[in-house]
Amino acid sequence: MNLPPPAASQELASCHVCQKVSPIQMENCPRCGTHLHLRKPHSLERTWALLLSACALYVPANLMPIMTVSGLGGGEANTILSGVVAFWQMKAYPVAIVIFTASVLIPILKVAALVWLCLAASGRVWASPRALSRVYYITELLGRWSMVDVFVVAILVCLVRFGALMTITPGPAALCFSGVVILTMFAAMSFDPRLIWDRHRADLADAPPP
Amino acid sequence: MKRHHPWLSWPQLREGPMQLACHLCDTLQAAPRLREGDGAYCCVCGEKLYRNRPHSLAHATGFSAAALIFMVLAHTFPFLTMTSGSISTRLTLMEAAHVLIRDNDPLVAAGVVFFTVVAPFILVAGMLYVAAPLRHGVALPGAMRVTRWLQWMEPWSMLEVFFLGLIVSLLKLGKMAEVDFGLGLWALGGLVLCTAAALGGIDKLELWDRLEITRKGEANPT
Repeated sequence: MNLPPPAASQELASCHVCQKVSPIQMENCPRCGTHLHLRKPHSLERTWALLLSACALYVPANLMPIMTVSGLGGGEANTILSGVVAFWQMKAYPVAIVIFTASVLIPILKVAALVWLCLAASGRVWASPRALSRVYYITELLGRWSMVDVFVVAILVCLVRFGALMTITPGPAALCFSGVVILTMFAAMSFDPRLIWDRHRADLADAPPP
Repeated sequence: MKRHHPWLSWPQLREGPMQLACHLCDTLQAAPRLREGDGAYCCVCGEKLYRNRPHSLAHATGFSAAALIFMVLAHTFPFLTMTSGSISTRLTLMEAAHVLIRDNDPLVAAGVVFFTVVAPFILVAGMLYVAAPLRHGVALPGAMRVTRWLQWMEPWSMLEVFFLGLIVSLLKLGKMAEVDFGLGLWALGGLVLCTAAALGGIDKLELWDRLEITRKGEANPT
């Protein structure tokens, strides 16, 4: 099967912002003025760097308390996982599942998906480009929902201020975790899905004709 | 404005065939004009390239104007009020940020303000600023730049995530104290729905084409 040629093979660049196709020699998009690139610059290097820093931040985000509940009976520090466990023990299964999905499952799956995409784009693992494109689409779509735990902390800190009776204060993990979410969102943005198809086209060209 | 063929949603940009590169697989392909409601899909990877959305700008104008009104309400009235004994606390976006700063977490406060106040405001107000005059063939100064900002802000506007956070917090608080819903909560719901409708209904290709047409019209008025 022969695929139609990519725009890049004709020195045509699609603007990142307005999608207008213009020759790469023009340097800036004639319509919106954005700098033109055939591919996002240093896409894989940037994605790897952002992913590594996200992984590094993920450790303190899970080990340190995300909020502290202090009341008459003393203080109690909550981590992300202890919050999930508490909901589960309260038999609030849907909430436990939502929190677990948003703050544990999605970040881990997202990092795993981006690692897989980077490896596939650099040709170290093989996977169907269609499946990879789908994975990329879902990764970009779901990433922001991990922020829900940070917002829950902001809401609870604002509402539960009853002095000695019960007060919730934010913990250091809130900052680390929002860092993880922001970094993985940037990682997904800096990854260029066209690299997957470039690899696929190169593979097809290399393959001997049947 | 010149009249054009009734089922084409916006005037033709140029004589030659339009070309478009798929943003997933970079396949260069012709971008024919579509009938209302039709979509164009990439011939290699099947990704949606663009859709001719009927009355795209009118919808964007209406929904973003409504969203702006909901935004004012969502900032003025508290989402939740919690009462325990004689003390009662209110939840608004700015109050949440204020408390976070007081609790020595200014960075998280900045993040919350950016994701739930600044980014949604740029999105909604920018959309109104661009779409409303563009319906009549006018581009206000800086419309191009504002449209670029819209594109950048889209992933960072997280009001719907905040809304999910509110639901989770409500379930968490449920048994602890008396929680009352405020007008702000309903306004926030309306804001989330209207923002999604304004963003989902806009045809980006049409928006950029129209901007280009207006700019060309200004450069050499006939």
